[in-house]
Amino acid sequence: MRGVTRLPAAGLRWPAALARRATPQARPAPVLSRAAQRRRAALLYVAPAALFFLVLIAYPLLRVLWLSIRNANLVDPSVGGFAGWDNYATVLSDDEFLSSLWHTLLWTTLSVTGEYLLGLGSALALAQPVRGRAIFRGIIIIPWVIPIVVAGLDWTWMLSPEYGVLNLWMVKLGILTHPFYFLGRIDSALLTVTFVNIWRSFPFYTISLLAALQAIPTDLHEAAALDGAGTIRRWRVITMPHLKTVSLILILLHVIWTAINFDFIWVMTQGGPLAASETLPILIYRYAMQTFDVGAACALASMMMGGMATLFFVWYYAARRRAAVA
Amino acid sequence: MRWTALLRTSTLPGALLGLFLLLSPGSGQAQSKTVVHFWVAWDPQQADAIAAKKEIAAYEQAHPDVTIDVQNITYDALHDKLITAVAGGEGPDISWGLPEWFGELYRMGALMDLSGFEQHWAARPEIYPNVLKALTIHGKLMALPHYLGIRALLSHADMLKAAGIAAPPKSWAELIADSKVIHQKLGKPGFGIAGTGVRAPQELIMYLAQNDLAVARPTRDGKYRNTWNDDKAQLARAAQVFAFYHDLQASGAISPDASGWGWEEEDTDFALGRYAMAIDGPWMESREAQNPKEMADVEITAPPTIRTPATFFEINPFYVFKATAHPQATLDFAAFLTGREFQQAVHPQNSPRMDVHSDNKWGRDFMTLAASGVVFPPVPLAGITRDMEDAIGRVLLRHETPQSVARWLGQAINRDLRQSGELGSAS
Repeated sequence: MRGVTRLPAAGLRWPAALARRATPQARPAPVLSRAAQRRRAALLYVAPAALFFLVLIAYPLLRVLWLSIRNANLVDPSVGGFAGWDNYATVLSDDEFLSSLWHTLLWTTLSVTGEYLLGLGSALALAQPVRGRAIFRGIIIIPWVIPIVVAGLDWTWMLSPEYGVLNLWMVKLGILTHPFYFLGRIDSALLTVTFVNIWRSFPFYTISLLAALQAIPTDLHEAAALDGAGTIRRWRVITMPHLKTVSLILILLHVIWTAINFDFIWVMTQGGPLAASETLPILIYRYAMQTFDVGAACALASMMMGGMATLFFVWYYAARRRAAVA
Repeated sequence: MRWTALLRTSTLPGALLGLFLLLSPGSGQAQSKTVVHFWVAWDPQQADAIAAKKEIAAYEQAHPDVTIDVQNITYDALHDKLITAVAGGEGPDISWGLPEWFGELYRMGALMDLSGFEQHWAARPEIYPNVLKALTIHGKLMALPHYLGIRALLSHADMLKAAGIAAPPKSWAELIADSKVIHQKLGKPGFGIAGTGVRAPQELIMYLAQNDLAVARPTRDGKYRNTWNDDKAQLARAAQVFAFYHDLQASGAISPDASGWGWEEEDTDFALGRYAMAIDGPWMESREAQNPKEMADVEITAPPTIRTPATFFEINPFYVFKATAHPQATLDFAAFLTGREFQQAVHPQNSPRMDVHSDNKWGRDFMTLAASGVVFPPVPLAGITRDMEDAIGRVLLRHETPQSVARWLGQAINRDLRQSGELGSAS
């Protein structure tokens, strides 16, 4: 059939055949070894993912680092030039930096601790052979599947001193003498958002720890019980060591996710009142979108990125060392 | 791996990519119609939005070569979306916006200079002169008026009557005294304020203007500066304003939770008759339909003052963007939006046109206050308005002294002006 490319001769690869046809006088291209062909094919398959990584992750990160040492203002095109460490100095000398850092530490520590304790307690309860266990396991996941914005708005309305059902119940039950503005007071705003965050996030711990609990061989417990170990001792020497790896991963992931969380606090308090619930991500937003100081926003973002990356690498190498020792 | 296998395996992704490119916007045949991208922030259920959509549909019918691409975005999200879209070169052709964003968008160089358009703009003679003045920077018209949100004192006359108060208060002292009586006799707060959100600085700028103060004044070098800390008399008057907030709280005139109220709580609680008086705007007419019983007794009067009659004059603008690909079509549409027909249909009570007005109380009583209206200076305001909110919080939540709050706010405003490159010299 005319016009249809003939198959190359046996033993020749397509590029070699094409090259020979296009330039008959040229030297034949070297035949690639099988390993080289595999490597080339692998590179081709990896290329889209690498491209996505470069465009969507590496470029924005490098751009943030670059802008952190530049003068950049979103609404003032005349601002520009090399800033050196000025943006970092701006952040460190900001009155709100230390309080935001403290709020971030408090918010992260309390959230992760509360989530872990509640998750562990509920996982242990759901691991028991009780009736209706499957239903409870299904129900407990509900807070975690609710979008943060929906959960945040729901709790904001429920906690409202004017119309909130929780305030109404607490007054009726005599817990409060009059409605309390949980999200509007300096001393309660951050704690309230933290409580709601714990409520939403603990189911993730529950299902992860429950899976780890179910993987513990029952004969270990039976043997320990026969040897006279009580419930608490078995929990300490059998259960907890089996939960150690998954617990460390859960805690590390949630420390990072919670510290960089923006949406929950923004939906419920916008960092208020009077910056009482302002964390570092909220401060980054304020630099970028309220004072339009993109340089300072990128400097603080870089500092946070450095902190989180350090935390991850310390954990990672510690885990590797432990594994090597074991 | 053979090339044939590679080609075979890449057929499906290639086909999908081709399909994506084929279906993506802007591909295929060039569109014959001019598309004007118009960003709005309306509540689609409200009468003004329904009327506006009808008018825009009629405009499209009369201009078959033009399509108006309306994107509805809440005010909360519109600011950030506009700023980032404009910075990224993907802004709309024309947009709604708050007057507080005027300085920022101007500073970005995002707004079209409308001086040329103004010369043959049919609506020009009908627009209130002070409205045009407020939208003019350095002699250039940089935005078009959309609607007016003049603020007045709204009172539930029946509640005042029940408390034995004959007429709405005219001074700050009367307001506090009347509110105390209402609280004692009816068990409800007499007055409502916005302690947070966009409404809080709008109310604060009004009280400052009533005490002959400006957030920032123009300087000789063409910039702006807060002058409170340069002048003891001004600082004392600013402290008086924050003392007023303190007294409102200390006397029980406002709810203890008002420090955290935004415009939603202020409007809703007033419409439900949960307190007697508030500084509010003509949009509260729409609450008459939702709460006819509670809103039937509302009276509209000038805001109580201490020295000078003043109110906040929200000149809500249409922003026309310089980067538009279709300047003529956009300006034609802008002329339509400020035209009599559109304004009569959409903003009969609060139009910036002098020939469009309503004789009911929501039109007439508000418009009589237009002459005493004050506006924000045309500088980037995001940091300044946040500091104004914080200043209210420092009085109501942290119980700082009015003097220290006045001093702090003056300094904070100048710091914000410095950051945005708008701080003028002291002399």
